[in-house]
Amino acid sequence: MRKILRSLAIVIAVVLFAGGCAGSDTGTSGPIVVGSVNALSGAATFPEASQAAKAVFDAANAAGGVNGRKIEYKAIDDKGDPAAAAAAARELVGGDKAVALAGSSSLIECQINAKYYEQQKILSVPGIGVDPACFTSPNIGPANVGPFHDMTLSLLYGSEVLKLNDICALLEIAGNTLPSYQAAIDEWSTITGKKLKYVDATVPYGGSDYTSYIVKARAAGCKAITVNPVEPDSIGQLKAAQAQGWNDVTWLLLTSVYSENYAKAVQNAGAGVYVPAEFYPFTDAASPQNKDWRELMAKNGIPLTSFSQGGYLAAKYFLAVLKGIKGDITRESVTKALHEMQPITDPMVGTPYVFGNGKTHHDNTAGWPVKLASGAGKWELAANDWLRIPKK
Amino acid sequence: MLQGALAGLAAGGLYAVLAVCLTLMSRLVRVVNFAQSATAMFGSYVAVYLAVHIGLPVWLATVVGILLGGALSALLGWVISTWLAEADTGTRSAVTVAVLLLLISLSFILFGNKPQPFQPLLGGPAFEIGGVVVSQVTVVTVGLAVLVALGCRAVLTRTSAGVALRALSERPTTAELLGIPAKPLSVAVWAVTGLISTLMISIVAPSQSNDATSLAMLVVPSAAAALLGGFRRLDLAVIGGLVLGMLQGALAQSDSLSIARYFLPFVVIAGLLLWSQRKEVWDAAR
Amino acid sequence: MPLAERKPARSIGIPLLIAVVAVAVGYGLSVGLEGYFVYLGMSAVVAAIALLGLGVVTGSAGMISLCQLTFAAVGAWVVSALNKAEAPGGFLVWLLLGGLAAGVVGILVGLPALRLRGINLAVVTLGLAAAADLTLVQLQFPGVSEGISVLRPDAFTDDRSYFLLAVVVLVACCLAVYFLRRGRWGSGWQAVAFSERGTAAAGASVRTSKLTAFAVSATLGGISGGLLTGQVGLAFPASFTSIQSLALYVLAIMSGAHLIDMAVFGAVLWVAVPELLKRWGVPQDWGYVVFGLLGVQALTSGGNLGTALRELWHRRARSREGNGHVGIEHREVETVDEAPPPGPPVLVVRDLSVRFGQVAALSSVDIAVPEHGILGVIGPNGAGKSTLVDAISGFLPQAQGEVELGGGPLTGPPTRRARSGLRRTFQQDRVPPGLTVEAYVRFVARRRLATREIADALEFFGCPPARTPLSRVDVGARRLVEVVGHLLARPRILLLDEPAAGLPHEEHVAFGERLRRVPARFGVSLLLIEHDLDLVRSVCDTITVLDFGQVLATGPQAEVLADPAVLKAYMGETELL
Repeated sequence: MRKILRSLAIVIAVVLFAGGCAGSDTGTSGPIVVGSVNALSGAATFPEASQAAKAVFDAANAAGGVNGRKIEYKAIDDKGDPAAAAAAARELVGGDKAVALAGSSSLIECQINAKYYEQQKILSVPGIGVDPACFTSPNIGPANVGPFHDMTLSLLYGSEVLKLNDICALLEIAGNTLPSYQAAIDEWSTITGKKLKYVDATVPYGGSDYTSYIVKARAAGCKAITVNPVEPDSIGQLKAAQAQGWNDVTWLLLTSVYSENYAKAVQNAGAGVYVPAEFYPFTDAASPQNKDWRELMAKNGIPLTSFSQGGYLAAKYFLAVLKGIKGDITRESVTKALHEMQPITDPMVGTPYVFGNGKTHHDNTAGWPVKLASGAGKWELAANDWLRIPKK
Repeated sequence: MLQGALAGLAAGGLYAVLAVCLTLMSRLVRVVNFAQSATAMFGSYVAVYLAVHIGLPVWLATVVGILLGGALSALLGWVISTWLAEADTGTRSAVTVAVLLLLISLSFILFGNKPQPFQPLLGGPAFEIGGVVVSQVTVVTVGLAVLVALGCRAVLTRTSAGVALRALSERPTTAELLGIPAKPLSVAVWAVTGLISTLMISIVAPSQSNDATSLAMLVVPSAAAALLGGFRRLDLAVIGGLVLGMLQGALAQSDSLSIARYFLPFVVIAGLLLWSQRKEVWDAAR
Repeated sequence: MPLAERKPARSIGIPLLIAVVAVAVGYGLSVGLEGYFVYLGMSAVVAAIALLGLGVVTGSAGMISLCQLTFAAVGAWVVSALNKAEAPGGFLVWLLLGGLAAGVVGILVGLPALRLRGINLAVVTLGLAAAADLTLVQLQFPGVSEGISVLRPDAFTDDRSYFLLAVVVLVACCLAVYFLRRGRWGSGWQAVAFSERGTAAAGASVRTSKLTAFAVSATLGGISGGLLTGQVGLAFPASFTSIQSLALYVLAIMSGAHLIDMAVFGAVLWVAVPELLKRWGVPQDWGYVVFGLLGVQALTSGGNLGTALRELWHRRARSREGNGHVGIEHREVETVDEAPPPGPPVLVVRDLSVRFGQVAALSSVDIAVPEHGILGVIGPNGAGKSTLVDAISGFLPQAQGEVELGGGPLTGPPTRRARSGLRRTFQQDRVPPGLTVEAYVRFVARRRLATREIADALEFFGCPPARTPLSRVDVGARRLVEVVGHLLARPRILLLDEPAAGLPHEEHVAFGERLRRVPARFGVSLLLIEHDLDLVRSVCDTITVLDFGQVLATGPQAEVLADPAVLKAYMGETELL
C-alpha cells in the first residue's frame, strides 16, 4: 500500500517527461497544424486516407506552403479503441492546437468526438466517414458518400439497372448503424416503390462461417443479396455460397469491398459482385479523372484504394479552403472559411463538395458502378456515368 | 432447421478436430492450449504468404505452412516443458494465453488485417440430401475428425510410444525413473497436434472468413466440445464438436435466436461443468 | 469478517494516510498536467481498477480469468441504462450499481467453474468473453444510438476534475482491496490459491473463497467499465473486446497485479507503452507483442515485473534484516499443566473401509480416541495411515463406515466436519506463504483471538513471532504454525499427520513434551500419526497399529509394542523400534 506513492511518483515522472516532449505552442507564424484520427492498428485498419492527405500537404509545403506557412500534418492512431480515439482528439485539439481535422478515417471516431468538436468549435473533414455520426454532425463533413447512401445506390443499381427482383439484405450491424441502414433501404423503397424480400440484421460482424445465413437466404428465394460487409466477411459469404453451389446469386455490395485485394481473393463471384464506387473507380487505370491522384500516390508509394482517394480529396478540399483565407490562419478563421466556402467540383466525385452551415453533412449522393465477374480477378467499370440518388 | 444443422456441420468438423487436439494436449502434456488454433492460423498465413509473394506452388506452400505450424507448436511445447516441467496445469495454460495474444498481434503486423487470398484446396458442393447441399469441405472435415480421433486412439493404445505417453501423463515420476524420455515425447505431442490443427485450418480457411482473430478464437467452441469429453475422452470430443456446429447452424436460421447462438459454446461449457462437478472431488495434488 | 481485535492504530492509520496523499497527488496531477495527459491519466486509472480486480482473482486466489472487460461492459451497460432512464442518484450511485451488477454476473459465471481447478474458469471466462464480444457488437449500449452521453457528476464535468474523481474512486478501490485482503476473505483467497485441501481443512469453504475472489474481481471490473463510460461519454463494444481482456490478463500476470502498487504500475504500462510506441513511430500492434513476450517470460521464470522491482527496492532493507529463514526456538516452559484423566471417547470410527479401484486401502477399521486422550497410529509405509486421516476428515467421499464425533454422527464435506470440531493437519506443506503467521493462525482458528493468546500459543511451540511472513518461515516451523492454528480453533479433536516430519530430529523431544500437554492446555484430544516411534512412545497413552489397511493391534502403549504380530509387521523397519 505504501508503495502506491512510489508508483504514483513513477506515473508523474513518466507523464511529465512525456508531457515535456509534447508541449509545443503554435502561434500565427509557426506551422499550421492539421490533424486526423485514424484506425491504424488493430483488427480493422485504414491507413491510406491519412497517408494520402499527408502526401497532398507535403506537396503543398514543397510548393511554398500556405501564405508562407508550412502545414504540419499529424495522423494519430485510435486503435479502434474509443478511449484512444477520444484521447487522440484531445491531443490534436487541446495539445497541438490544430486548426482543423482533415483526412481522418476511423470506424468510431465521429461518434465519440462529435460533441467534443462542437464544444471546441473545430471542424473535421474526414477522408472516409463510416459511422452515422460522421454524416449527422454540424462539425463533421466527410469527403465520401458513406455506406448508407452507398447502400441506396447499390439497391438502385440492382433493381433499376440490372432489373433484379427478390433482393434480400444481410446486414452486419455494428453498434448503432441499424436505423441508418434501414433509412437507406427505406429511401430506395420510396424512390422505386419496391420492397426487399427480407432483411436479416443478425448477420455477425467478423463471423467465422456464414454458411447458415447463406442457406437461409437461398431457401427464402433471394436472387440478389445486398450486404454491408467488411472485406473478410464478404469473402466468407461468397465462399459459403460457392460451397453450397449457389452460383446464380448477384451480390450488391458497398465500396468497403472495392479493392484489388478483394478481387484477387474472390474466384467465384456468383452472378457478379456490383459496387457503386464512392469515388471515380481507381481500377480504371487510364482515366483522366484520377490522373493527378494516381501520380501523387505512385510518387509516395501509397496503395491505390478508395481510402486513399477519400484522404486525397479531403486534403485537397481543405487546402483549397485554406488558400482562400485572407489574414491569419487560426481555428476561428478556418472554421469560418469552411462554413462560407463555395462548392468545389472534382472529376473524382459525382457531387460537388461543400461544408457549409448544415446541421448534417450527408449530401454526397453519387457512385460509379463497378463489377467483379466470376473468375475475372479484377474490377471493371459497369457504367459510363455517375449513378445518382434522385432528388426528392 | 435441418438445412441449418447440415450447414453447420463443416464448422462442427473443424471444432471436433481441434477438440481432439485439445483433449490430447490436456491428457498427455497437462495443458489447455489456448493457442491451439492461433498457431494453426499463423502456419496457414505463412503458407499464403509463400504462395502469393514468393511464388511457391500452392501445395508446397501449404505443406511448408503446416510444417511451420507444427514447429511453432513444438517450440511452445519445448519452452513449457523446459521451464515449467513441474508447474501446474494453470500456469502452463496461462503461457498459452500469452502466446495467443502474441500470435494475433504478430499476424496483424506481419500479414496485415486484410483477408488472406487463400487458394482453396477444395471447393463446391459434394452431394445433396433432400435438397440440402453438403459441401466437399464438410465431408472432408467430418471425415478427418473421425479419422484423427481413431488414429490417436490407436496410437495411444497400440504403439509403444503411446503406452509411454500414457505412462508419462499418469505417473510422471515413475515413467521418468523407467527411462521414458519425458521432454522429447511432450514436444512430439505438441508438434503433432500443431501439425493436425494447421492442416485442418489450411483446409477450412479458404472456404470461410479467415481473419486472424476469428481463426484464433476457434479455440473457444473447440474447448466447449473438448469439455464434453471432460478433456479426457476423444470420442465425446468429436461428438461434442459436431453437435455444437450443427446446433449453431440450426440456431442461425431463426432471427430471434441468433444471439443465443453466440452464447451456445459458453452455455455448453457452463452446463457441462455444472453436471460433471455435482459431486465434490478432491484433487490429491492440492 | 472479524479483523484483529485490538488492531494497532498504525494498521488502519498508515493506509488511510497514504490514501490521502494519493488523492493529493491526484489533485496535483489534475491541475498540473496538459489536457491530453489528464485524459490519458483517466485511461490509466480505469485500467488500474480493472487490474486491481484481476490481481485479486489471478494473483491472490490463483485462478485464470479472461473476461475482465466483459464485467467492465456489464458496469458500462448499467451506467448507460440508468443514465438513459435518468435514474435518480446520479453518476456515483450508477457506478456503484454497475459494479454490484457485474459482481452478481461474476457469481453466476463463477458458480459452475469454481468447484475444480482454475483452468475451468479460464475456459468458461474465455467463452463468455467471446460470446459477449459478438453480442455487444450486434446489440448496442443503451442510449448510444440516440447519442445520449453519460452525465458526469455536476462538480466533475470537465476532464481535469473528472480525472480527480477517477483517482478518488481508484484510491477507494485500493483501500477496499487492502482491507479485504487483510481480513478473512483475503486469507481465504491466499489459502485457496496455495492449497484447496488446506483451505477446507481449516473449515473455510473452498467454493466461497473462490466465489468471493471472483465476485470482488468482477465488481472492480464493473466499476472500471462504468468509469470508462463517464470518461468517453458513450459506451462502445470496441472498448471491451476479448483480445483486450486477454491483454489485460497477461498484463496482470507480468506486472504482478496482486500487489496494489503493481496494479497501478501495470496500468501505467497499459497507457505508457502505446504512448511511447506512438512517439517512436512504431505500429501499435507491437504493444501486445511486447505484453505477450513479457507475459511468457514472467510465467516461465516464475517471477514478474512487480516482484522484481520490489526485490530491487527491498534489497538494502533485506540485507539489514538478514535473509535467512526463521525456524523453531524452544524456550523452557515452566508451568506444568496437570493432565485431566481421559474421559469417554470423543471420536469413534466404526467399520471404516476405503477402496481405490481394486485396492482396499482400509478395511473395517475401528478406532476410538478418548476425551483428553492421545491416540498414536503407527504402521509401515503404505499401511493406510494418511488414508485414515483423509477418510475421517471427509476428503474421501467414497469411504464407507461410521464416524462419530462427541456422540453424534460426523458426515459431509471436509469444511463441514472441520466446523463441527474435527481438525487435521497435512503431511505436505499446505501453509500459504503469502500470509503472515498471525493472519494464517487467525484464518485457521475461525474465532476471535486476543493477540496475547496467539503469542502465547506460538511461544509454547517455539514458533516464530506473529508478525513474521510465512514465506520466511522454514518448512518444519510452518507445520508447527499449522498445528498452533488448528489448536487455537479449539476443536474437539485434532488429527496430526506426521507433524514432526519437517523438524530436525533433536527437536522431536521438545515437541513431544509439548504435545503431551496439549489436552490439558488447549482442551483438545489428539490422534497422532508418526514415524518416529520415540516420539509416539513419549506422547501416546494408547496406540493403534495399521498394516495393509487393517488394524493389527490396539491398546495401551506397552502391550501393543510388545505384541509379536506388531514386531513381525515391522521386521523390515526394525530400526524404528
